[in-house]
Amino acid sequence: MILYDYILSPDCYKVRLLASFVGAPLELRAVDFHPGGEHRSAPFLRINPAGTIPVLQDSDLILTESASILTYVAAAHGPDWLGDDTPIMRGRVAQWLAFGHRLSASIGKARTHDMLQKPADIDACRKSGVTALRELEAALIEAHLRGDAFLAGHRPTLADIACFPHAMLAPDGGISTDPYPAIRLWTRSLRALPRFIEMPGIHRLHELKPEPTGSSL
Amino acid sequence: MTDAWTPVALARDLPRLGVVPLCVDGIDIALWRSASGRVAAWADRCPHRGMRLSHGFVRGEALSCIYHGWSYGSEGQCLRIPAHPDLTPPEAIRVPVFQAIESGGVVWVAPKTTDAMPPAVGGTALRSLTVDAVVDWAASGFTLSSAVARGELSGVAMTILVQPLPNGRFALHALADSAAPAALIEASRGLEALRRQAEVALA
Amino acid sequence: MTDPIRDEWYPVALVSQLPQGDRDTLLLGEPIRVTLQDGQPMVTASGRVLRSQARYGHVWTSLGSPTRPLFDIPEADQPGRRLVDVGLVRVKCSPLRAVENFLDIAHFPFVHTDILGAEPHTEVGRYDVAIRDEVDEVWATKVQFYQPQAAKSAAGGITTEYMYRVPAPTVSVLYKTCPPRPGEWDVITLFVQPLTETLCEVWPWMALFDDTTPLTDLIHFQQTIFLQDRSILENQQPSLLPLDPGLEIPTRADLTSVAYRRWLKRRGYTYGAQLVAA
Repeated sequence: MILYDYILSPDCYKVRLLASFVGAPLELRAVDFHPGGEHRSAPFLRINPAGTIPVLQDSDLILTESASILTYVAAAHGPDWLGDDTPIMRGRVAQWLAFGHRLSASIGKARTHDMLQKPADIDACRKSGVTALRELEAALIEAHLRGDAFLAGHRPTLADIACFPHAMLAPDGGISTDPYPAIRLWTRSLRALPRFIEMPGIHRLHELKPEPTGSSL
Repeated sequence: MTDAWTPVALARDLPRLGVVPLCVDGIDIALWRSASGRVAAWADRCPHRGMRLSHGFVRGEALSCIYHGWSYGSEGQCLRIPAHPDLTPPEAIRVPVFQAIESGGVVWVAPKTTDAMPPAVGGTALRSLTVDAVVDWAASGFTLSSAVARGELSGVAMTILVQPLPNGRFALHALADSAAPAALIEASRGLEALRRQAEVALA
Repeated sequence: MTDPIRDEWYPVALVSQLPQGDRDTLLLGEPIRVTLQDGQPMVTASGRVLRSQARYGHVWTSLGSPTRPLFDIPEADQPGRRLVDVGLVRVKCSPLRAVENFLDIAHFPFVHTDILGAEPHTEVGRYDVAIRDEVDEVWATKVQFYQPQAAKSAAGGITTEYMYRVPAPTVSVLYKTCPPRPGEWDVITLFVQPLTETLCEVWPWMALFDDTTPLTDLIHFQQTIFLQDRSILENQQPSLLPLDPGLEIPTRADLTSVAYRRWLKRRGYTYGAQLVAA
């Protein structure tokens, strides 16, 4: 599987993260999104006329949209991440995959505006971003009250991966994550999972590693 | 006249090894809990290069700054500077410490030293949420005494601790008299409705 | 009478991006426009044409009248080098905080974990720092640090040697061990454009010996490093870099930044800085 990838893209990161969790072999092909604008170049548009990343290529299959790519990779290499095969979990996973697009369109756009100077209606993006984070926070509260530690149920699924990166990176776009304790606790539990990998902007949890020996803590 | 103690979080939202940024009386504070469960409220600023300690990490009973890993012990004194592992850090390197206490399932911070205790409250921790406007408590059927609002939302009796934030915003820390999940879900939705009502002028 | 702030050269655009359109931006709080005029970069401020030049892949300009030419990086003209434009990243911080972070290595194990540094290899040994009066630049030499993955061209962990150089108030140049060509230095720079005292755009640029790594991977490696620093830079208090001791406490590992702050104060360069004791 080849992933057309940009290291700073949260949507590409979702695929890299899932691939790490499930141990799927993923060959990364770096796309010069910024400053090169390679995703709009003629050769790239032949692969994906929408000019977006991530794009997954697996033999003759080409998939665009992170939600679809996540679904494919999970189905092929880690079906647990699709959630239990029940209507409720299927429905929930689908809901949060769709919600992930709202996060990209709001928080994602605010971030590329603030960081890379990409054009955006920044006030509208931030306002939508806050609305989305509040919904995510309320959903996590209710999930806990149902006895679920993760968005779609008792175990992490694509629902969590779809929402995690933008929930962490919102401050890059001028949206504080301080008001959301449930989001904080949930992101922490994802970051502590085995085979979690970071992306630039999401730091390692150093508390998971003991202080080097010889110190007096 | 501000009370000595400000409610800043629900205790369950501060797990061991957790660090949370807060603002109390205009002071930026890093609230954290050690491995043994001890809660501490420190100035949110590492004396080295001014990095927010709320981005830091907790190991054992110490909080370390994420920038250069400088670690600080229970009284705010610098214990270790990783760039100089054999150096005993000078006494002068320390972080200002504020009083923090857990009571009634709530974490309270006192910006100024006090002998007073925070108000007695209790109930099942529900959630905290931030409101970008003033809540008309009376209109919502709540009585407000200092930081403590008592009333009912969606048929559930609640205690809501009100924490003023900068720029006319408020954090609400809600406890419910009921522990039943269904009631708590209704109460959570009631809080969302309360916020929507308060913020209607902002839309 | 030289104005220490306005009479400097500042980076304001990527030459390679100008054909795509004009760039409207801010320099020291003033709106400027960077455009192509007969194939040459031109910079104007409210219609007034500013002095400008293209160098190191970027357009440099001044709101005043620099008395000295732009600093020289001879490696830029060395045959066999790959010159890499990394692209701008905007940061809500003082331009001086951005430069100072680039001069620091003690943060490598914590911020660039498992790339530029890792616990327990956190010790920063003695190194030499000097303000070279003859060129009026800050230099740090004999800096060493153990790194798990020092560069895209490194096969594994190595002890990297560094030199740091500040040739202008908002520019930092780093020279590091070059794995494919021992004896040569890879050059990595941070050109910082001060939009305001608390907002800047950083333009990393590199002159490397690396014939194998694809260009995009080189760009992404450097963007990764900078993005890891960005959330630090946006969370330092106070925003303005303190030039007087008291508010912040350096150690021996911070000699380069101490020299940088002293050098800025000596030059009267206070844009993005504060002169305040504890």
